Amino acid sequence: MSTQDKVKINKLPTGVPGLDEIVGGGLPEFSFNIIAGAPGSGKTTLAHQFVFANATPERPALYFTVLGESAIKMLRYQQQYTFFDPAMLPGAIRFINLSQVVLEKDLGAVLEQIVKEVEKANPAVVVVDSFRTMVRKPESDLDLQSFIQRLALFLASWQATTFLIGEYAEDELRDNPIFTVADGLFWLRQTPERNSVVRKLQIVKLRGQDSVPGLHTFRITKAGVQAFSRTFGLISHAKNPPSHRRLSFGIAELDKMLGGGVREGDSVLVAGSSGTGKSVLATQFIAEGIRQGEPGIVAVFEERPQAYAERAASLGLDLETPQKEGKLTILYLRPLDLSVDETMHSILDAVQKIGAKRLVIDSLAGFEMALSPGFRADFRESLYRMIFALTGIGVTILSTVEVDESFTEFPFSTYSISFLTDDIIRLRYVSIDGQLRKIMVVIKMRGGNHAKDIREYEITSQGVVILGKRLTNYQGLISGIPVQSPPSGSTQEPSFDTGIGRSK
Amino acid sequence: MTAVPAMRDLAQRLLAYEAGTARTSEPSESLESLESLEPATPRVPALRVPALRVYEKLRQSLTAFAGEAAFESLAFRALTQAKSEAPSLWAAHVAADGSLQGLSKTESQSDMDMTHAGDGGIALIARLLSLLRVFLGEALTLSLLRNAWPDEAFDDRNAAHGRNT
Repeated sequence: MSTQDKVKINKLPTGVPGLDEIVGGGLPEFSFNIIAGAPGSGKTTLAHQFVFANATPERPALYFTVLGESAIKMLRYQQQYTFFDPAMLPGAIRFINLSQVVLEKDLGAVLEQIVKEVEKANPAVVVVDSFRTMVRKPESDLDLQSFIQRLALFLASWQATTFLIGEYAEDELRDNPIFTVADGLFWLRQTPERNSVVRKLQIVKLRGQDSVPGLHTFRITKAGVQAFSRTFGLISHAKNPPSHRRLSFGIAELDKMLGGGVREGDSVLVAGSSGTGKSVLATQFIAEGIRQGEPGIVAVFEERPQAYAERAASLGLDLETPQKEGKLTILYLRPLDLSVDETMHSILDAVQKIGAKRLVIDSLAGFEMALSPGFRADFRESLYRMIFALTGIGVTILSTVEVDESFTEFPFSTYSISFLTDDIIRLRYVSIDGQLRKIMVVIKMRGGNHAKDIREYEITSQGVVILGKRLTNYQGLISGIPVQSPPSGSTQEPSFDTGIGRSK
Repeated sequence: MTAVPAMRDLAQRLLAYEAGTARTSEPSESLESLESLEPATPRVPALRVPALRVYEKLRQSLTAFAGEAAFESLAFRALTQAKSEAPSLWAAHVAADGSLQGLSKTESQSDMDMTHAGDGGIALIARLLSLLRVFLGEALTLSLLRNAWPDEAFDDRNAAHGRNT
């Protein structure tokens, strides 16, 4: 013991996947917390998960129910969740009903009853659900404040971590003196967005913890509440130093155009209209990675994994074997009410599970369509956060995006997300000699040399094959309707843009 | 329609257990509330009636965690069902605090016997257990029973699954 020793606050697991990271590593032991939100927002389920994660027969959880939902009905429904272990009742988790005391006596008697039960059981966790129903007269707010103050003091002394559950509307959050007593305030809300409901969780306050600020998406499934941190759980990961390694597409000419390949940890956008071979290029990228010993993830939204693998097989690329060997995961994310954060968590889980080095998102349009309408507004922001988080740990991301073919413009993306990407490869149709042919150009490579050449390519049974040298006898190729020009006399050797001034 | 056989078996076991306990033990603190009840018969105090002992233990256990009102409504439902299969329960009723009243007027002398549980008692307890199983499931119901009867071994298979209904 020394005068320099500060108190160490233990962190308890919340039992809610994703929430530990949001609260800064776990819930502070002996903290006094309030879970607030409207009915149906998941307050009771969240409290149950904490209770089941922390209660033991030696240090049990006391779950006080008051007026409102009957404990029998509550347990009937709660035991449907996978975290619910009936064997923990009533040894480790004890439900105690206080409604008779509340109905017949005052808050002082309620406190007395709680004190009596706590002294008897010496619990590690105490929950009061719902503490707001204890106040039966509107003018009793002062009593409630005093009750909570005394309860907080008592339970902290008894080394119990406490949750009070209360129904509160959004506007009651401000200036409510009850909340000042709490060490932690968890706010749950659900908002209808067109035909979907968006659930959000906010840690309004949490004393002594470096919690992640902002609104975090959560979902209630058979496993209970699952939270999705805005930082995707990668906040604690050290950023990898910039890599100078180049990753091959498995297409020698394209690698040359890219100055030797894509820089490891870059975000690459392949843009083009329908049928230009974006997915083929993406498949070759992932297949080449596997050949090089780099596990990969393909997130598909527009076709099923089996169809994706079969299409790859028609190009001579075997995606079945690496899937069986755990080197490749094809994620099919198509339900139409996904939140952007949980979609990205699915991708991140897969990335971390197999240690993926390459990730393909095919396509951004499909990704956006898979989201609940309410989440589409967050699409760009969340995509930015995911790309930033993943490339920071060295994963190279290739996203495909469909752009409307225009014969007057040369757009890179309809999403205005070009700024999110380090490298852009543009594919397009062009009308030459009475044929609709395809050209490819590297638009940008942040921090690296790349060819300025416009190259013609074809999609064959071998995948994307770049033909001949750059097209020198045409002008206006990127308009899609070029005109033939006399030979310029310039060499057909590749010409490079140095990318100076665009370093990361 | 009678209570499911598995629940009748379980009820009989509990009644048999309490019959044995009532014969051999001193009045327990947890059942002192039975002392205030009217005697089951002039010769048999309520405390010595197995059905009442089982009922009272269930009442205390469930009231603590679910509240008086919740237990009272469950017990009322169970008694209503039990009366349809055991008319001898005709005068029994559930008080507002969930306690069982009037059993003495309904069950015959043999039913009140310490060693032999009457049909009415078995029907009532079986119905109550059946309701608990419906609402809480077998696992949780058995957990609660283990807590109320810590000395009794409740085998999941025998108690709830063994006899197909």
